[in-house]
Amino acid sequence: MSASWVARCLRLSVPLGALALAAGAFAGPAAAEDVIKIGAPLPITGPLAPEAVKQQQGYDLWAEQANKAGGINVGGKKYKVEIVYTDYQSNTPRAVQATEQLITQNNVNFLFAAFGSGAAKAASTVSEKYKVPTLAATASSVQVYDQGYKYLFGTFTPNDTLTTPLTKIIKAQVPDVKKVAILARNDLFPLAIAQEMEKSAKDNGFEVVYFEKYAIGTLDHSAALSAIKALSPQWIFVTGYTNDLLQIRKQMVDQQMKAPVVSMIAGPAYQEFIDALGKSAENVTSAAWWHPAEQYDGKDIFGSTANFVKLFKEKYKSEPDYGQASAALCGALFQLAIEKAGSIDRDKVRDALASLDVTTFFGPVKFGANGQINSLDPPVFQIQGGKPVVLFPQAIKQGELKVGVE
Amino acid sequence: MTRSNIALLILIACVAALPLFGGAYALRLGTIACMYAVLALSWNVVGGFAGYPSFATAAFFGFGAYFAGVLMGKGWPLAAAVVAAAIAALIAATLLGAVLLRLRGHYFAIASLSLAEVLREVVNNATDLTGGGMGLNIPLASGSGVMAEATFYFYAMWGVMLLTAIMVIVVAQTKLGFALNCIRQNETASSMVGLNTTLAKSIGFGLSACFVAAAGGIYAAWVHYIDPSDVFDILYSVKPIVMALMGGLGSPLGVACGAFLYLGLEEVVWRNYIQIHTGVLGVLIVLLLLFLPHGLTSLRFDRLRRRAKHA
Amino acid sequence: MQAMQILINALVLGSLYACIAIGFSLVWGVLNVINLIHGSFIVLGAYLAFGLYQSLHLSPWYAIFVAAPLFFALGYVIQRLILNRVITAPVLVTLTLTFGLDLILNNAMIYFFTADYRKLTLSPPLGSVSIAGAVVPVDRLIATATALLLTGLLYLLLRRSRIGRAIVAVRLDRDAAVLMGVHVPSIYAVAFGLGAALAGCAGVLMALIFPISPLTSSAYLGKAFVVCVLGGLGSVSGALAGGLLLALVESVGSTYLGPSHATTLSFLLLIIFLILRPQGLVGRKGFE
Repeated sequence: MSASWVARCLRLSVPLGALALAAGAFAGPAAAEDVIKIGAPLPITGPLAPEAVKQQQGYDLWAEQANKAGGINVGGKKYKVEIVYTDYQSNTPRAVQATEQLITQNNVNFLFAAFGSGAAKAASTVSEKYKVPTLAATASSVQVYDQGYKYLFGTFTPNDTLTTPLTKIIKAQVPDVKKVAILARNDLFPLAIAQEMEKSAKDNGFEVVYFEKYAIGTLDHSAALSAIKALSPQWIFVTGYTNDLLQIRKQMVDQQMKAPVVSMIAGPAYQEFIDALGKSAENVTSAAWWHPAEQYDGKDIFGSTANFVKLFKEKYKSEPDYGQASAALCGALFQLAIEKAGSIDRDKVRDALASLDVTTFFGPVKFGANGQINSLDPPVFQIQGGKPVVLFPQAIKQGELKVGVE
Repeated sequence: MTRSNIALLILIACVAALPLFGGAYALRLGTIACMYAVLALSWNVVGGFAGYPSFATAAFFGFGAYFAGVLMGKGWPLAAAVVAAAIAALIAATLLGAVLLRLRGHYFAIASLSLAEVLREVVNNATDLTGGGMGLNIPLASGSGVMAEATFYFYAMWGVMLLTAIMVIVVAQTKLGFALNCIRQNETASSMVGLNTTLAKSIGFGLSACFVAAAGGIYAAWVHYIDPSDVFDILYSVKPIVMALMGGLGSPLGVACGAFLYLGLEEVVWRNYIQIHTGVLGVLIVLLLLFLPHGLTSLRFDRLRRRAKHA
Repeated sequence: MQAMQILINALVLGSLYACIAIGFSLVWGVLNVINLIHGSFIVLGAYLAFGLYQSLHLSPWYAIFVAAPLFFALGYVIQRLILNRVITAPVLVTLTLTFGLDLILNNAMIYFFTADYRKLTLSPPLGSVSIAGAVVPVDRLIATATALLLTGLLYLLLRRSRIGRAIVAVRLDRDAAVLMGVHVPSIYAVAFGLGAALAGCAGVLMALIFPISPLTSSAYLGKAFVVCVLGGLGSVSGALAGGLLLALVESVGSTYLGPSHATTLSFLLLIIFLILRPQGLVGRKGFE
């Protein structure tokens, strides 16, 4: 009888042992001699999946260009680039786990941060522990960078650099605007930017008549929009992701809501936003960190902005937006830093990143003491004739602000 | 103590040796394994013993994570915050249980499911206390090394797992376990013969919440940053059930093995199928339910028992 | 004026919610299965409408006639081949099984259609009309009318046809129905097929109104849950009543407390209903 009990335990241990072995066997082989591996945890499944595709396009474009040119030049020796992707299911704990997996199992040399502010922040505790230089392509909230981390760098300027110029333009050109209504998605980035908006609206003497949050996954916004309509604000400012903004904009049209100014962040910069809405996207204003109309002459692998746009269009048959551009920029910055350091030593590359002061196709790049970029002027733009038209900065201005959103 | 319970304790003792072999990533997996075992074993008290289909695990987990997280933000040490969260969850769940457990079957399932939804929205809207949708930062404990920290959180989670296992074994052997068993078999009859079913169910519900909340608290400290949609994730409610089904409902050893097996499957599938891992997981769940409806261990036990009888 | 607008918004939204929930309610009531694939079926229906409109310029009104038989067949087959094998198992098993099936279907949709949000935009757009001082979009009105029509058809089917009465009989008393010569497995399969067909049709209608993506399936499923409990399980009129109540609570709550509290309110209502009136608004007692 006792023998059978032992047998039972033994049998039980077989599948568990097999699993343990399987887990061990998947430990990636050590990095090959002349390849630089960069890990990229992405939300390939789950609510953020559409964003992952954009990120991947940017990274892939850079890797392709870098390898086409023979690789990255490290002190005279050429290294090929390989990007290792993992899926973190749009789930922050998974992002943390995926980051540690990339570092310890896949032996990546460097990291691209997880998507967005929340996941990038959580996962950066891991990359900081292992001292792996990490570039965040899509984390703008200052809260991500206020932890005193030395290995995290981000290519988006703080949120207020989007809302302040927007407010200034509206104030200067649409004197009728007195009342502002703000509707925000209750999520790290959209909420943070809405709070910046409230601040800059108040600073500029506007009256904020409505400030409400909607829950993630809200299907119908008609009640909130009816409430806003009843207050008849001149400026309606909405934050959220593409799906939220599509739905809200459609319901605004349904309810025949009109206002001199309607601003939305972040969606109008994406081609699919314009395609899906057609005419109702007209005259919606927004701001983003980059725009294909910019004209920089960069020292990076892509060179000029126009060249980047051309390469992107050749590969993906669509206009690049700021998300894709920022992802490609992160690759290009690693290349610049590695070539400058002349080594793939993590600490040397980290120091090279920290001391970068260079113009790229994305704009001038220089990181502040907290690791967040502080050298960019994000453009303000408006959808006119189915195209985003830049209103600010003056240097790349393409058109005048049009008042009235129907 | 039954043999399978001894085996469970031996298994847990073996898991404790992990830091001797594994690196930081293995420890991370080990910590998650212990966490899953805590969730599954706790769920087993209500779902396995009493037969109530509870989907409240995510609610308890998120509650613990936020309760402990907010306290740690106010400067409480980890241990005190976690214990406080566990006690708060015990009391809250016992009281809630008295109300919710009057419902049966599907109705109870939905009520327990909505508990997580309500709590998530409450946390989302209490921006001043919890940071709302912006998430909550938990201050770093200290600047100790990678391995030291990984080992610390591993043992913390392991400790909770051990306590949970002991709780489950004690419950199974006392009058409470007997009462829960009776409730599963025929609740109306049990209350007619004088069993205080409401009390038994409520205490069972409270106990199943207590350690899950503790695991949530440790988890919050471990990842340093939590936000409502992550810790109140519905998957925290569903996964323990799948684990328990894998291992065999009701048997603590089976449930714990189910938890480890599930983690192993999840990890292997996740690594190898970047685009389609959730689909592959779905196929595994469907196949498991269709072809091994009683889980892996119960199948094996039945066969062994039959063989033992023949001998 | 604003009160009128809120009321009309709620009425229209409520009918849509009823449309989302009705197939779910039927399956739950008859088969005693919480069908977690329901949300993904709705999304699949929306993709069908989108695809037909993009490729053949087939208007969603006609897409319904394509969706209904296709989804009925899909549901019938899934029930017969998979679900039927565990139909007598406890709640947990069937629920977890449909969870697994949902993972597969949803992942397949992400894989083949990508997770990008799409929008079916009719050209020319339908615009809005004004009713009693409130603005109502025409597409929602039409969807509402169609939803009510579908609901009415189902009601007639259950009351008047042989198979419908057999379904009702199985729901009320399975054992008695067997004794009366009803072949329960095929009734189960028909009911599940009907549930799927209703989900597919609901999806076609939703394609007009909401953005389409596999990621929206859980939102639909969540609404279906709440509507079912509020209205009462398995009854056609219950789904309608539940949908209207939910929409009204959400609209009023969102207007006076702010939109972020609307969801909290609806789930609190759900728990209160479960505790005080588990049979729902119009449900009968005894379906526990």
